[in-house]
Amino acid sequence: MSAVTLRLKQDPVVALEAEVITPDRFAEMSHEEICSSIVYHGKRQLRLDEFFDVEGERSDDLILHGDLNRVRHLGRAMTRGSLTAHGDVGMHLGAQMKAGRIEVFGNASDWVGAEMSGGKIHVHGQAGQQVGAAYRGSLAGMKGGLIIIDGAAGIEVGMRMRRGTIVIGGPAKDFVGLQMKGGTIVLRDGAEIRAGAWMQRGTIISLKPLNMMPTFAKSGFQNPTFISVYSSLLKPHGCELPNDASVGGYLRYAGDRAVPGKGEILVWQEHSAS
Amino acid sequence: MGGKVTCTLGEVKQRADFIVYWGGNPAECHPRHFTKYTLMQKSKFLPRGRKDRTVVLVDIRETKSAKAADHFLQVRPGKDFELLTIMRAMIKGQDVPEAQVAETGISIEVLRDLIEKMKKAKYGVMFFGMGLSMTRGKHMNAAALLTFAAEMNAFTKFVAMPMRGHGNVTGADVIMRWQTGYPFGISLNRGYPRYNPGEFSTVDVLVRGDTDCAFIIGADPGATMPKPAIDHLAKVPTIVLDPHVTHTSRLSRVHITTAPAGIAAPGTGYRMDEVPMPLKPALNSPYPSDEEVVRRIKEVIATKPDWMTNQPQMIESQV
Repeated sequence: MSAVTLRLKQDPVVALEAEVITPDRFAEMSHEEICSSIVYHGKRQLRLDEFFDVEGERSDDLILHGDLNRVRHLGRAMTRGSLTAHGDVGMHLGAQMKAGRIEVFGNASDWVGAEMSGGKIHVHGQAGQQVGAAYRGSLAGMKGGLIIIDGAAGIEVGMRMRRGTIVIGGPAKDFVGLQMKGGTIVLRDGAEIRAGAWMQRGTIISLKPLNMMPTFAKSGFQNPTFISVYSSLLKPHGCELPNDASVGGYLRYAGDRAVPGKGEILVWQEHSAS
Repeated sequence: MGGKVTCTLGEVKQRADFIVYWGGNPAECHPRHFTKYTLMQKSKFLPRGRKDRTVVLVDIRETKSAKAADHFLQVRPGKDFELLTIMRAMIKGQDVPEAQVAETGISIEVLRDLIEKMKKAKYGVMFFGMGLSMTRGKHMNAAALLTFAAEMNAFTKFVAMPMRGHGNVTGADVIMRWQTGYPFGISLNRGYPRYNPGEFSTVDVLVRGDTDCAFIIGADPGATMPKPAIDHLAKVPTIVLDPHVTHTSRLSRVHITTAPAGIAAPGTGYRMDEVPMPLKPALNSPYPSDEEVVRRIKEVIATKPDWMTNQPQMIESQV
């Protein structure tokens, strides 16, 4: 059973809401059913094949080609299979997904993996704002799974996240882990201001020095054991955390005391730097 | 977190004995605010008027409003969120290092004194302006102040209110709220309202170029929005309803001159505390009102076939 392949043939003029593009639906659909799936071009309901050339049917694997930056809700709430996109993708990629894999060879927009509860998203380019975040008015963001962004990310990464792991390869903007309630965020290239603002629980690990909020308290220099466990878990995904005590350790900050919260921010520091 | 703690300006006038202006300059931008509601009025509960009230101004520079205030706190630009977060920690008895407090531009002694006074107040009110909500951090700065006001209610009555700007902006929010459940940033493309600021809010939609038509009533985005948004307005068919020829009219395809509301057209304006005020026209205008133009456009659209051919598919959960 070969993969279902979609090639963008006509650029949408306005946002194209295509929550039908998930392995869950296409796994049980014939070619004709896939072609006649309804997508929303602005307010208009159109057939999927007005925008995409469709190949294949009944497959758990889904491959997308083209500049999809206006195509939203890709892989929404998926529970199985894989989705691979060659090109930029639009907002809400993998939002509320429960299982499966998403890989993007390009940039993603806002709300990547918003409120997801399982599975893995790997974006090789940059991501927009609110990666793994909660939607407005919702109490909890990401509840499980793994998001890896190789490039930079926008503001409010992991806003109100409860569980799961986010790895940001490039620099992140303001408010990383805003109102975080659990889970782990790894910042491999640091972040701008206000990281961990209002966090209740959870861990932010930064491999670069951070501009700390004034309401965080220094609480020691250590090499926690769990770092090596995390490092070995993240290694297959191309991310290692330094944990060699002879080279350096982690400065630990506790907060945010405005809440007051029990979150922690660990900032890697080499001995030579201190 | 959620909900907002607020009151009407009548209540402020009658009861507020502790008033904070944060990132606003009411002396120049809302000149009647002091005299009608916050400073000068005497009431049953505040018989000595100004003498019974404490006024604090927090801003990045000493504006004309500073003269009217009892205390002026000069916060470093871009440190409002940090300062409010420190204050949230301090009211709960959490210890914040002196050096880190000083980075906001305000010393810990001043802050301790301020918090002491706030806790002793009978009825506190915080007004915030664009100096807070339009600087780095934006909605989170406003959220910080609203949360702080909510948390102050553990000690005494405290409310917060935005200092809304020109025109009937509060009215637009209020109407949208009772019509759809959300104040702004709403999409109706699926036949039911969905709310997501950042995705559906006007400026973001225009900057990304995610619209192929724009209909602007009583606003001038051509003068206030960022360059890419203005460029997009010039590119797509833009229709403007306004009593004047605005910057937006110049780049639009259609400009319809309407009667100015409150002067030549009746209606309802909403005060910044969301109290509706009937507007009685004083003059006659040869132009139709905004309402009439929109109603006539709607009548023509209603004769066209329904665009929702199938029942809309609901996207589960909010967005």
